Amino acid sequence: MTMPSLKIAATGRTPEVDFDFPNGVLRLAGESYPDDVATFFGPLLTALRSFLAESPATPLRFDMELLYFNSSSAKALMNILQMLETAARGGRPVTVAWCYEEDDESMRELGEDFAEDLDSVSFLLKEVPVSGVR
Amino acid sequence: MTLAQQFAGIKRDLDQQGIIFSFSGYLSEGILYSLGEALREKMTLEEADGPTVRRVFSVFVEQMQNIIRYSAEKVTGAAGRPVELSAGMVTIGMEAGKVFIVCGNAVRDGDVARLKERLDHLRSLDRDGIKTYYREQLREAPDDDSRGATIGLIEIARRASEPIEYDFTPLADERSFFCLKARI
Repeated sequence: MTMPSLKIAATGRTPEVDFDFPNGVLRLAGESYPDDVATFFGPLLTALRSFLAESPATPLRFDMELLYFNSSSAKALMNILQMLETAARGGRPVTVAWCYEEDDESMRELGEDFAEDLDSVSFLLKEVPVSGVR
Repeated sequence: MTLAQQFAGIKRDLDQQGIIFSFSGYLSEGILYSLGEALREKMTLEEADGPTVRRVFSVFVEQMQNIIRYSAEKVTGAAGRPVELSAGMVTIGMEAGKVFIVCGNAVRDGDVARLKERLDHLRSLDRDGIKTYYREQLREAPDDDSRGATIGLIEIARRASEPIEYDFTPLADERSFFCLKARI
C-alpha cells in the first residue's frame, strides 16, 4: 500500500482532515461550511477514490466527527459515504462511526438520514460528550 | 434633524423590533464568516444551549449563502483577484422568545415562479415530510443552474420551529425583492 496519508489542519470554516490511508482510518472533525465546497472536498474525494481503487480490500473505518456542516458539505459527505458503500459491497469491511454530541438531536437525525441506504457499511451512531467547543 | 437624531431613530426602530443584528449591502463569504462568529458569540453569552446556537447558525449560513449565490444584484470585477459581491440584507432578532432570521435580496422575475413553487411545497410539509424530502434531495444531483446543493432551503425549513414565511414585492428592471423569514 503506497497511498500516503492526507492530513489537513482545520480552519474556522473547514474541518480537520486526517485520512490515514496506511492504517485504513479516515477522520473528519470540526465544522464544514467552506466558501467553495468543490475546492475543499474535491481533493479528498479524489484521494479516497484512488485509495479504494488501488489498495487491497483491507478493513476501513470512517470517523465522522463534524459538529456542524452546511447543505453543500452534506452533498460531499454523501459522496464519501456512497464511495464507502460501494467498497463495502465489493467485499471490503467498512465501519462508519457517526459521532454526535449528546444533546444534538439534529446531528443524530442527520446520521439516520445519511445511513438510510447504507446496507453493506456497518454504521454506528455514536454519542459523545459535549466538548464545550460551541 | 441632526445626524445623531437621524441615526438614533434608526437604531431605536431596530431595537424596538427586537433586532440584534442587521446587515444591508454587499455580502461576501468573509462577511458571512465574521457575522456568523459574532452571532454565535452573542448567543453563547446569552447562555443559549448548544443545539439552539447551531440551529440558528445553520439557518443563518444557508440564508447568507443563498444571497451570495443567487442575488440578482451583483458586482463583479478583478482587483488582483476575482471579486464577486452580491447585494442583500440579513436581519436577526428576537420575537416572542424566539430567534428569527430574515434575508432579503433581489431575484429575477423569471425565477419567482419556481422559487414560490419550492417554498410552497416546503410549507405544505410537516416535520416528517420535510425529513423525507431532505433524504430524497440528498441523493439527487444538484440542479444545473445551482452552485450549491439544492437542499439549502430544506435545511432552513428543517431547523426552523415553525413553517417558513416568504414574500415578494416588485422592483424595477424585471426584478422582485424576495424575503424569507425563519423562526428557530
